[in-house]
Amino acid sequence: MRAWGIMLALLTVTSTAFAHVGSPDVYFEGDAGPYHLLLTVNPPAMVPGIAQVQVRVTSGAVSSINIAPVYVNGKDQGMPPTADLMQASAIDPQCFIGKVWLMDSGSWEVRVEALGTHGIGKLAVPVPVFARRILPMQKALGTLLFVLMLFLCVGIVSIAGAAAREGGLPAAAIPSPRNRRLGRIAMAISVVLVVTIVALGNWWWNAQAADLKKNTLYSAPPLRATFDGTDKLMLQMDEDVWHKTRKDQWSMNLIPDHGHLMHAFLLRLPGMDRFYHLHPEQASEGSFTLTLPTIPSGRYKIFADIVRGNGFPETMVSEITLPDVIGRSFSDDDSGVDTSAFEPSAPATNISPLADGGRMIWEQDRAELKAGQVSWFRFRVEDARHEPVNDLEPYMGMAGHAEFVRADLSVFAHIHPAGSVPMASLMIAQKNSGLPMDHSSRHSLTDEISFPYGFPQAGDYRLFVQIKRRGQVQTGVFDAHVQG
Amino acid sequence: MAESVRMPMVASAAVGELTSIRTSVVPWYVWSAAMAVTATTVGLYWDISWHIGIGRDTFWTPAHLAIQFGAVLTGLSCAYLILHTTFAGEGASRDNSVKVLGLRGPLGAFIAAWGGFCMLTSAPFDNWWHESYGLDVAILSPPHVVLLVGIFVMGVGGLILTTGQMNLSAAEGRRQLERLLLYSGSLLLCLLFMLGYEYIGDQTLMHSAIYYRALGMIAPVVLVGIGRTSERRWAATTLAAIYTTLWLAGNWIFPLFPAQAKLGPVFTPITHMVPLGFPVLVLPGAIALDLVLDRFDGWGDTWKAVIGGYGFMAATLAVNWPFAYFMMSSHARNWIFAMNEFGYNFPPSQYHLAWELRTYEKTRAEFWVGMLIALVATALSTRLGMLWGEWMRRIRR
Repeated sequence: MRAWGIMLALLTVTSTAFAHVGSPDVYFEGDAGPYHLLLTVNPPAMVPGIAQVQVRVTSGAVSSINIAPVYVNGKDQGMPPTADLMQASAIDPQCFIGKVWLMDSGSWEVRVEALGTHGIGKLAVPVPVFARRILPMQKALGTLLFVLMLFLCVGIVSIAGAAAREGGLPAAAIPSPRNRRLGRIAMAISVVLVVTIVALGNWWWNAQAADLKKNTLYSAPPLRATFDGTDKLMLQMDEDVWHKTRKDQWSMNLIPDHGHLMHAFLLRLPGMDRFYHLHPEQASEGSFTLTLPTIPSGRYKIFADIVRGNGFPETMVSEITLPDVIGRSFSDDDSGVDTSAFEPSAPATNISPLADGGRMIWEQDRAELKAGQVSWFRFRVEDARHEPVNDLEPYMGMAGHAEFVRADLSVFAHIHPAGSVPMASLMIAQKNSGLPMDHSSRHSLTDEISFPYGFPQAGDYRLFVQIKRRGQVQTGVFDAHVQG
Repeated sequence: MAESVRMPMVASAAVGELTSIRTSVVPWYVWSAAMAVTATTVGLYWDISWHIGIGRDTFWTPAHLAIQFGAVLTGLSCAYLILHTTFAGEGASRDNSVKVLGLRGPLGAFIAAWGGFCMLTSAPFDNWWHESYGLDVAILSPPHVVLLVGIFVMGVGGLILTTGQMNLSAAEGRRQLERLLLYSGSLLLCLLFMLGYEYIGDQTLMHSAIYYRALGMIAPVVLVGIGRTSERRWAATTLAAIYTTLWLAGNWIFPLFPAQAKLGPVFTPITHMVPLGFPVLVLPGAIALDLVLDRFDGWGDTWKAVIGGYGFMAATLAVNWPFAYFMMSSHARNWIFAMNEFGYNFPPSQYHLAWELRTYEKTRAEFWVGMLIALVATALSTRLGMLWGEWMRRIRR
């Protein structure tokens, strides 16, 4: 019960992480054999660290769940550690909480084994793990430790003095002036030693902290964007220390996600009134060329999603100012939307017109959106006559794609009906675990799609929800105000 | 001895009282100090075994609790002893105390309390470090060093507490305290060997100079220091024998308890607690030290340190070098010698590396320079032990 309370408290903590564009938590909805589960993983902010795992059973009766972490390095992975039994919630027996230890940055999978009335069901969920921040020392703790250190320093100097002054004296003997002088000399030497040791300790601490900060804290690969003056955008990935030092640990090669090595999202600033979901072609290693559609001039934020060979997903961020571009019309999986500028003071919207004349309706379960709470974001699609549609098509293999963007751009999350997990990462995790790899089939195409997700922090958000109908990608746009 | 001014009457009465008390009884706080260093040493052995076999831990593992129990026991018993001596002490207890920050108590109590306090200080520091910089990124992190310094000082404090009592005792009481001193000294050796585990715990380095450098630096100072303090014949040998017995007991008892790896990836399945490896063969060197120091009793300490150090190293080499071949052989891959025991993260494909002698030094010249350093370090360590032992013998409070 206490652990459950801690879990709830953790879920409502506001995240201030910025790496991976501010949304480090993993949400996944999928089948573990006969059971349907919604899984949430809160990766640790520092690595090695402990991830909190929450599983909600949404169909089937499950009596117990075991979880075990596996590091995915594409090499010899050994065996997973002994699985841990998750703790069932006293309030809701179909909710389970647990934790897994993640000892290195990179791609992990959490293997889930659910036992219930229909036997055992298994699932493997990819979890990208990286150090996001170094926790500063709280003032109270810092003061306490400083006082303790001071006491220890004064104590050892006094002890040294006493040892030299009185340690060898016979019982009841009073220290002579020579004894006292010896004591003072010992104390003086101790002071010098203590000050030296403390200074060296301080230097060592700072050196360690700087080294950890440099080598451990994650940052996405720098992305340079250049425009060729016509309709081409060149995207050049660079490498920082974090990536360079991990080349030998796991594959840095890219693998396609939904058939594309890179998903680039262009968002016009400051109003977020133009949004494009495009797919650059790889020109050479780390270099991509994006043929732009016709887009109006402006300053654009670029979010570029990639997946590494071991299933580790990354989102690179860049920015470019473009003139009016006369490009090609949308082709293949490319899409975009022309919408109104974002107004923080405007009321939240739950109906969005679509380009084909239809509309998309956000079915909100709650009157108020709160940060840190996982829920299903459900959207219903209607045609021009406001009738439910029955002709939705898969868009890059999924029923839909949704992008959640915080107004200050500190959060960007690309979500699918299966959750925040890239399908390429999921395929690797499932394959690693010897499990079936198709998770898209479950999401049959009705007029409604849903996305499991939780806002990482309070604030104003714009949601871009994309579906495909009659060969055309339609994008619904919604604004949301999220409470802390 | 330093000059001193004796207090008439009171002093003689106190010594009389003291002598009568200390001929037969080992005070509770000496037992307490011995128990504390035992708990901490066992806890540290347990903790290393835990990390090798199980992998992950929390503050509340039994190993950590054993370590911190040592700190708490030391802290509480020494605090009581100091407060009692300061505010309610009379006669011998007060007369045989030192004054630190206005408080009175035995010197060893202050030192052990400082060590225990240092250990306790490391707990919140380490907890924050884990949250801030990750779980046990490195063994030698600042909070771990604070803990290790605390453990070491607590152990030394216990030794000084025992010594102070021993130096004031006679007959059977002294002999009991001498035995207790050697026992506590053997635990100090265990602790120091755990610190040097990276080198002297790796049998594949038994033909490398680094192994003998580490051994030469660590062992003689304790063997000679405690040996000289106790004034017993064969003190170093006895201490080394106790160390060997205790370590072997750990090696043979711990694997009787089941364990499972809780961190991945697991390359070697774990079914029981993993022992820390065969004890360092320090016994031959200790015998040599006892023999040499006894044979050259009339010589100056510096010469004795040189000859003793040389004897220690010669005997150590004579036994360890050939023993290394045995340890690398299949005959050592059993429960007695533990060469078939591996941590969860050691792949079977790498086992052969644990059964092949390797040279830490890159060149032959580097090896010989290393061995020369080992010889000098051993002599220095022996001399340091003599100085320490001599100081300990003078402790009266």
